[in-house]
Amino acid sequence: MPINLNNSNVATRENRIGSITGYVGTLKDLATQSECGTLKGCSRCFSQSSTCLSSCALGQLCGIRDVALIHHGPAGCSVAAAGAYYMSKVMSKKRGVTSDTVYVGTDMNENDTIFGSTESLRKVILEVYNRYHPKAIFVSSSCATGIIGEDIDSIVDEVKPEIDVPIVAVHCEGFKSRIWATGFDISDHAVLQSIVQPPREGVKTNKINFKNFFESARPEIIEIFKRFDLEPVFLYCNSTVEELSHLSESIATTCICGTLGNYLGNALEEKYGVPYVRSINQCGIEGFEAWLREIGKVTGRSEKIEEYIAEQRAVYMPQIEEVKKELQGLTAVLGMGPGYTFEVSRVLTELGIKVVWALAWHYDKKYENGDVPPSMKYLLDNDIDFEASVADQQNYEVMNILHKYKPDMYLSRHPGSTVWAIKNGTPAIYVADEYMIFGYKHTLEFAKTIVDAIKNRSFEENLAKRSKLPYTDWWYQQNVDKFLEEVK
Amino acid sequence: MGEIRQIAIYGKGGIGKSTTTQNLTAGLCEHGKKVMVVGCDPKADSTRLLLGGLAQKTVLDTIRDEGEDIELDRIMKEGYGGTRCVESGGPEPGVGCAGRGIITSINMLENLGAYTDDLDYVFYDVLGDVVCGGFAMPIREGKAKEIYIVASGEMMALYAANNISKGIQRYARTGGVRLGGIICNSRNVDRELDLLRAFSKELGTKLLYFVPRDNIVQHAEINKKTVIEYKPDSNQAQEYRNLAQAVIENEDFVIPTPMTQERLEEILMEYGMMELADDYKI
Repeated sequence: MPINLNNSNVATRENRIGSITGYVGTLKDLATQSECGTLKGCSRCFSQSSTCLSSCALGQLCGIRDVALIHHGPAGCSVAAAGAYYMSKVMSKKRGVTSDTVYVGTDMNENDTIFGSTESLRKVILEVYNRYHPKAIFVSSSCATGIIGEDIDSIVDEVKPEIDVPIVAVHCEGFKSRIWATGFDISDHAVLQSIVQPPREGVKTNKINFKNFFESARPEIIEIFKRFDLEPVFLYCNSTVEELSHLSESIATTCICGTLGNYLGNALEEKYGVPYVRSINQCGIEGFEAWLREIGKVTGRSEKIEEYIAEQRAVYMPQIEEVKKELQGLTAVLGMGPGYTFEVSRVLTELGIKVVWALAWHYDKKYENGDVPPSMKYLLDNDIDFEASVADQQNYEVMNILHKYKPDMYLSRHPGSTVWAIKNGTPAIYVADEYMIFGYKHTLEFAKTIVDAIKNRSFEENLAKRSKLPYTDWWYQQNVDKFLEEVK
Repeated sequence: MGEIRQIAIYGKGGIGKSTTTQNLTAGLCEHGKKVMVVGCDPKADSTRLLLGGLAQKTVLDTIRDEGEDIELDRIMKEGYGGTRCVESGGPEPGVGCAGRGIITSINMLENLGAYTDDLDYVFYDVLGDVVCGGFAMPIREGKAKEIYIVASGEMMALYAANNISKGIQRYARTGGVRLGGIICNSRNVDRELDLLRAFSKELGTKLLYFVPRDNIVQHAEINKKTVIEYKPDSNQAQEYRNLAQAVIENEDFVIPTPMTQERLEEILMEYGMMELADDYKI
């Protein structure tokens, strides 16, 4: 589906790429149905939890250095501001840079809701501009402003002559989509609409756009890429507006997570011809090598990349093979976003661990270019199958699965989720850092972490003995799909 | 002292809800009834005839300018015959949320103790198209129990009335709200009385009163008065007194049975045209 940067409103993942939040079955069925187009998600008649997509959208934009984010809505909608501030300060400090990004809420009250408050918004925008001198301004909607139809687009257009930095309306009403990852697309759309410029004529670069979350492996990746004469530009955490304005000039775009990078990568390719590296992700050996080779192909650096692969293999493969011996036959359940759960499943299979169930917090039937996500294609091509479900962090379903399958470990990228597994007595591995399984070195470390987690289980056993979980025996006896309903 | 009869008046935009409500109110006043009229339309023109002009500052404007710590007399004015007049008000066209405004303002009236025991009637004069939950506020739990729909023999007026009945049916299931009848504000269309009777019957209710068309209503409006105040001896003034009497005596309150579009069109075909109607010459 073509990406329309003339409209400030981004269609939801459900509308655009047929994403779903409800499914129980097998990986093969999920992938086959995606490929032939028959996959229909289910809804739930009981939902325990979810997340607002605006925190994904605004959290991403807040990572950009020295910008202003104006959240037009009641005070409570700006609840993510504290976390976003904290993250922005910590991440910039860690990197040794400064960020003066501000997150301002317009604190709408009842009168503002009844009478509209675009005039106040105009004043807030000008005040923020004059007081903080941001390098770009994002003006976001909220549920309240979305429902009453506040015309933030017009206000943004009207103040443009008075503001000499990029300013853009960001439509992120939480009720738009059940899939919080729609927020990632909304942030990409805002950056593409307002900041990214067409490539300057005659500019040659060796830069490669690298969409990630918190750039923890930045120094390491810079070093690796130096060998290939490539310079990564990490997005959006600690990005500058100047850097972002030149994304269209890079020789390729890649990402650490397909869910996170899909919209930006495809849009840059479609609009500016910047190739998007479509491969399984960098987790594990197979993934890392496939990713590097794809970069080699896209950027014409295959020879150097093969040299690097051979060299690293010699160092790490014997060690990885050694640790693998301790992992054979173990069982695992995973609960992660779809950009990770099917990638980590692949790595676990590589390490000799049997995946018994993988939960994805949502599932994208196809990516923006019309293809099934590469991780799914890989699993299908390699005849790997296991039980799979799609559940937007419905913890009760995770607990039902853990209780039934009693796996040796549970892996999740979302902290609350792992705690519940531990209380159930299941050793849990928190795959928090997006680079935790990146490349040879981290795959080895990851394998060792698993060994540590499963060897000494006294913590989980003791905690489980002393924890009373709220789920009844009745629930544990039910099928996982008990509360799923056909979409009407 | 009996329970206050809280009545909501609905109907298609421009059908004459405000005019009918105010003239009816004047009629009730002559019967010695104590009445409060709450305008639930952002245009704030529901009490103009009772107050002799749009002098009223609305509830929402007052809250906006003075905060929530206000006295009742800041938002309630006394009009013709001791009626109490309140205008909810709302945003300018095209901005904000008028529906939320109605909710806020009715809550404010309750909080300020506007519903005193000496009242016999409270009328809510609601914006024509019940476009969202806010405009259904007057018929939610604990507020208006009686509804009258103002209609005429025109197709769109009946269509709107049928649609409003669907809303009433929804709230009637859980709350005590009931339809008291249809008030016809005549437009002099073909066989209007028969048509309205048949339509009301199909809805499971009755035609409460047929108010004939009379240009004196227009004269009174220009003079910012109800007909009863402007020309107490006129025939039309008597019609409104009769309407008031019909409301006082009405005891038939039903859950309406809205019809399908096809059925509505059938009724129109059956009653809505005089024979040779297309053949008249000017």
